[in-house]
Amino acid sequence: MTRRAAILAGLAAGVLAAAVSVAQPGSESGPSNTAAERVPRAASTPRLPTVASINLCTDQLVLHVADPAQIVTLSWLAADPDESTLAEAASRYPLNYGSAEELLRYAPDVVIAGLYTNAFTRALLRDLGFTVVDIAPANSLEDIEAQLRQVAAAIGRSEHGERLIREMQARIAGHRARLGSSPVDTVVVRPGGFTVEAPSLADELLQLANLRNLPAERGLDRWGSLSIETLLHHPPELLVFASYRDADASLANAVLAHPALETLAERVVTASVPAAMWSCGLPNSLDVVAVLEEAAEKARGARTATLSRADEGAAR
Amino acid sequence: MSGASAAAAGPVLEPRFSYAPFALLVPLLIGACALSLLIGRTSSGPTIGFGDAAIAGPVLMEIRLPRTLLALLVGGTLGLSGAALQGLLRNPLAEPGLLGASSGAALGAVLVFYFGLAAADSVVLPLGGVAGSMAALGLLYSLAGRRADLVTIVLAGIAINALAAALTSLALNFAPSPYAALEILFWMLGSLADRSSVHVLLAAPLMLPGWVLILAAARGLDALTLGEDTAASLGFAPERTQWLVIGGTALSVGAAVAVTGVVGFVGLVVPHMLRPWIGHHPRRLLAPCFIAGAALTLYADVAIRLMPPGPELKLGVVTALIGAPFFLHLILRHGREHAA
Repeated sequence: MTRRAAILAGLAAGVLAAAVSVAQPGSESGPSNTAAERVPRAASTPRLPTVASINLCTDQLVLHVADPAQIVTLSWLAADPDESTLAEAASRYPLNYGSAEELLRYAPDVVIAGLYTNAFTRALLRDLGFTVVDIAPANSLEDIEAQLRQVAAAIGRSEHGERLIREMQARIAGHRARLGSSPVDTVVVRPGGFTVEAPSLADELLQLANLRNLPAERGLDRWGSLSIETLLHHPPELLVFASYRDADASLANAVLAHPALETLAERVVTASVPAAMWSCGLPNSLDVVAVLEEAAEKARGARTATLSRADEGAAR
Repeated sequence: MSGASAAAAGPVLEPRFSYAPFALLVPLLIGACALSLLIGRTSSGPTIGFGDAAIAGPVLMEIRLPRTLLALLVGGTLGLSGAALQGLLRNPLAEPGLLGASSGAALGAVLVFYFGLAAADSVVLPLGGVAGSMAALGLLYSLAGRRADLVTIVLAGIAINALAAALTSLALNFAPSPYAALEILFWMLGSLADRSSVHVLLAAPLMLPGWVLILAAARGLDALTLGEDTAASLGFAPERTQWLVIGGTALSVGAAVAVTGVVGFVGLVVPHMLRPWIGHHPRRLLAPCFIAGAALTLYADVAIRLMPPGPELKLGVVTALIGAPFFLHLILRHGREHAA
């Protein structure tokens, strides 16, 4: 190695060591700064912890669980009606793009984040002394209840959280009570040729509306994706479209406009449920069930109409 | 005969090491660092300064300083290894991703995501990246062998890149959550957002020996500009130079990709930017390329923060947006000069 190279490497090492040693004291002063800023406010008036959310699903969980005065910021997607079921409520709050620097400025007591998003931001926020609660995507109705409980506990709203859970359980019981009549064969078509896998939250919602999730039941899907040809071989009674940004061009939406799919849609009963209603596990996910029950009723009507036509044909 | 070749090689092997480039590049880098420390980004767009007194400390020390240091380390690594690889392979298209170090690191990180380990700790992700780049190098070494010629190494590198890319999309197909798949895609475009001093401390110890290995190859690279046989006759074993550069690149680029994702174009374009000005001798080019790579990456990262409000652009997008037009300009000018 040349001497110059050695000197350069040594210099670089020195700069690094200095920079890192400068950075270290910061990590000790950082949290204490924010803590010092927070403590007096908390001491003067007993209050609920302030909360920030940086993930679309946790935004909506927070909107359900938190007292409006607690919320200091939500992520920008929460206010987008194509993505969020609570866009109007969310648009009343300052919106963030999920960076640590933004959150430092909002200085919330608790940050609620998605488990699979913003890994670096969540780690940095923890380093900075924030309480960060990670919420995994909900895969079942039980998950929603657990998450409501978890978020509620983290922001001091356990009582309200339990009330939301009791309301959900009552609605679920109501839907279960209406089950019984023969289930309707259903396929959900999502943009990009995806359908509803089982087990999943969406599958539970279908079952709760007394629908038979055909792809999952017959193992037609591959990792949640269903080819149009397979669909044509197994036509359902009810075709549910998970509509997403219909006006915006995308390859995923082009699948929904496939001529073969349109022909099928003319022959069977169809319903449309916005993608935003499926994408997160929330108390109002049960709204999907109400829409689906109505569609199922229509499909049963079509079934009896077909049967009576067949009877007429047999009689003649 | 040998005396004549030594006389001819003399000025080639001992080019005057010019300090002139540093007079311009170092202030350029210092300016970039200052801007990177000073300019931040809030929900309503770019901001200058550090916010009110309560948060100024953490904003500067915990968020902007690690980000600036990492941009410097990663950009420098890409510039340095790009120059070394173009010198080693005597091919202007060579860049750090060529040997599979980048794609191996990306695969390692993606696998960590796939197995859901990243959720536990953000440190696991970079470690997965380094392991991936090491595995890619190990595979390259076992495929090409110790005394492999450069063509074999390049072809093996291409094969490893293809394999790593295929395995990465396989992992994407089986990702446990659609959200994880989305995150992986974003991550592969490269970003410095919200990296902390942990990542600086994680990457630097691997980058430093990588730089030392590459710089140790400088004289050998100069000799290689005369051809492998001449270099060998001058006492520089080509395979030693070769493995110094490859090992150094795998270490430093692997560590870089592991913490920031794949940042494209810096390693390719920086040597081309400096060559018309500094000349083509690798030894004179290496250190200036380090500084210019760091500066380019820092300016690209500052440009990201200056964008109008919205989710942050990925770093790889901006380095290509800045680098590609400049690169094209150089190529077209080069073409015109040759035609004239």
